[in-house]
Amino acid sequence: MYLIGNISIYLGIAISLYGIIANLTGLKKKSSKWLESARGAVLSLAFVSSISSFLLLYLLGTSQFQYKYVASYTNESLPMAYKLTAFWAGNAGSLLLWAFLLSIYAAMVVFSKEKKNPMMPYVSSILMVNILFFFTVMALNVNPFEMTDKIPADGKGLNPMLQNPGMILHPVTLYMGYVGLAVPFAFGIAALILKKMDSEWIKLTRRWTLLAWLFLTLGNVIGGWWAYLELGWGGYWAWDPVENASFLPWLTVSAFLHSVMIQERKNMLKTWNVSLIILSYILTLFGTFLVRSGVLTSVHAFGDSNLGTYFLVFMAFMMLFSLYVVMTRYGLIKKESSPIEAYFSKESTFLLNNLILVAAAFAVFWGTMYPLISETFTGTKVNVGAPYFNKVMAPILLVLIVLMGICPLIAWQKAVFEKFMKNILWPLAMGIATAILLFVFGVKGIYAIIGLSATSFMFGTHLLEFARGIGARRKATKENILKAAFKLTVKNQRRYGGYIVHIGIALIAVGVISSHSYSTEILKTVDAGNSIKIGEYTLKFNELTEHMKNGNGVVAADVDVTYKGKDIGKIKPEKIFYETWPEPSTEVAIKTNWSQDLYVVLSSWENKDKVTFMVKVNPFVSWIWMGGIIMVIGTAFALIGGRPASIRYQTNKFAGR
Amino acid sequence: MSKNKKIVIGLGLAAIAFVIMMFSTMPSAGSKEITIEDLSKNGSNYEGDYIMTQGLLNKESVKWDADKLELRFELYEEGEGTLQVFHKGIKPDNFSEDVIVLVEGFIQKDGVFEAEKVQTKCPTKYEGEDMENYDSEMHKEMYKNDKKE
Repeated sequence: MYLIGNISIYLGIAISLYGIIANLTGLKKKSSKWLESARGAVLSLAFVSSISSFLLLYLLGTSQFQYKYVASYTNESLPMAYKLTAFWAGNAGSLLLWAFLLSIYAAMVVFSKEKKNPMMPYVSSILMVNILFFFTVMALNVNPFEMTDKIPADGKGLNPMLQNPGMILHPVTLYMGYVGLAVPFAFGIAALILKKMDSEWIKLTRRWTLLAWLFLTLGNVIGGWWAYLELGWGGYWAWDPVENASFLPWLTVSAFLHSVMIQERKNMLKTWNVSLIILSYILTLFGTFLVRSGVLTSVHAFGDSNLGTYFLVFMAFMMLFSLYVVMTRYGLIKKESSPIEAYFSKESTFLLNNLILVAAAFAVFWGTMYPLISETFTGTKVNVGAPYFNKVMAPILLVLIVLMGICPLIAWQKAVFEKFMKNILWPLAMGIATAILLFVFGVKGIYAIIGLSATSFMFGTHLLEFARGIGARRKATKENILKAAFKLTVKNQRRYGGYIVHIGIALIAVGVISSHSYSTEILKTVDAGNSIKIGEYTLKFNELTEHMKNGNGVVAADVDVTYKGKDIGKIKPEKIFYETWPEPSTEVAIKTNWSQDLYVVLSSWENKDKVTFMVKVNPFVSWIWMGGIIMVIGTAFALIGGRPASIRYQTNKFAGR
Repeated sequence: MSKNKKIVIGLGLAAIAFVIMMFSTMPSAGSKEITIEDLSKNGSNYEGDYIMTQGLLNKESVKWDADKLELRFELYEEGEGTLQVFHKGIKPDNFSEDVIVLVEGFIQKDGVFEAEKVQTKCPTKYEGEDMENYDSEMHKEMYKNDKKE
């Protein structure tokens, strides 16, 4: 086992090196044999990384504690699901997962319909450079198949905070997003190297990019959901450096998804698009560097400073390489781009949305790095907390939402202002009506009211777009509403998929703005039989109980809840004490209805009859998760549909056909 | 001047405005990281500044009033000074151990640190731990390493 594991890692290095050399030789000698062999190398890599991955899964599943990794993250009593998902609980395993996903993706790309595309050797070489890096790091620094000196009787177990379904999904989805971005990056660079200035690379990678973005969205939302359930501070996003690291590429890819439409239709923004995809890819490495290096204080710290250095060096190398390629081709790109024709057009609103998204990314990046920057220049480390991010990001995201409300109503090329004004009337009325309603109902907080009204306006625009599309279709075809709606969306999947994503964002915005502005919180110590009142809830504390569950000690508070005087059942916030872990973990008790969450944390206790609770009422938090799901559905919808790259390119002259 | 140029200039101005906005919010939203030694010697210099500091918990000193939700404790750095902390709020878990405590807040005239946030820092949260040899010495070791960074 030990041998197989280690051999597979060294084989990974050897094969990826060979594949790169084979590609280069094939290109130089114009030999299809060499290129064919390089393709074989990619397939072998997928095979080798599968072997290492399955081997690690097997070792974890069978609790082979002679392996350091298995002993560090699992123990005998851990449920099987968590034994297996400990695969990505630590550094070594998660790097292996990365290499595995990357090589599977690479094999899919190399054996796709486009395998004879002249870009392919370059694309596969770039992907193999990435794979080579991961295998090298595993061989030199964090080997998942390292043995312990003496076999421990039992492993150390998995951090209880990671024993949650959200934590099974969150890392994997984020990785799939991170890794997926390597593909469009490789194509973008390959196109530049070949001086192909058309939009072919964008058409070919559209689905890859969307898929990566879908996973990034999912990963971020699940991460927030996990934090909300598991960390017990009542929030879902803390602008922690590592959260930011996963948010940054999401922002830049969101920009990219919009600006490529302009290139596809209008042949504009070529430099911008290539730069954006390079930036997004570099940001994935940067994010990983942040998590693994521990340069910033974070709850996510993996704490292996060595590994950070590897990533930093690799990131610098990739950055310089990309810069070199872009610089040497800059004149060419410029020559082939078309200028913007009118100020008032969809193109310029897209440009604006791109700038705002990139500005947002910059603001997040700046805030994340500020402690390091300030220490370098002033000697005092200034930590930037959530207040900075909230202050800076709130107006940026507000403008973004307003723009989402305006953009769909503006025509390509040159919009007519009168027509636009006519279109915007209804959504605007909806936004204003929302503001008035909130005001009449006595809702406080001018910023929140502005935010919610803007969101309502944006939602109105999308409703109108759907309504108009369905109306026009029914006029032409006399179909009934449902059929017309179905046909309309299926015939324009890219467009309406995008709109569905926007509607998801509207829901998230409602959740974020409301929970941020109207959350209420009470900290209170109560004696048995006494109650806590918060909003329209009353919580009566009965007693503290102790019991054992899965070999862990559980302390639970028994609480009866009434809402508006009606009994709505019991809740049991808990603290769980693990054999293998120094600190107890908090199990939050949550009661959700459509508009708010009652969120109860058992903080501490003096004795059986005297307990301190933290109780929060968080309005509309469930809308965030709902919005996330709708975003994913919309993305998937746009992904499945949409015309594939229709133009078949000339097959490679050297392919020996 | 072409349309592209005009657009670029307009957007450039917007970008500059944006950067200015970011810089102006920065000082009000940040916390300075100061050592306990520095605070115990020159606390008065930092009055009014939002500060973050960390030290080892003196577990003998913890006083927790559950009814008022008031927490008082002392942080220390070996041989380099102590800091009295007052926090209105919840007592974190395992606050009776020798843990490293991160606090954020303001230093008062009487030298007491009024913490708005109190967090305990356990050895590498997401890594498996060697529970056999887990002891406060390791914390102290970690803490020293932290400071070297």
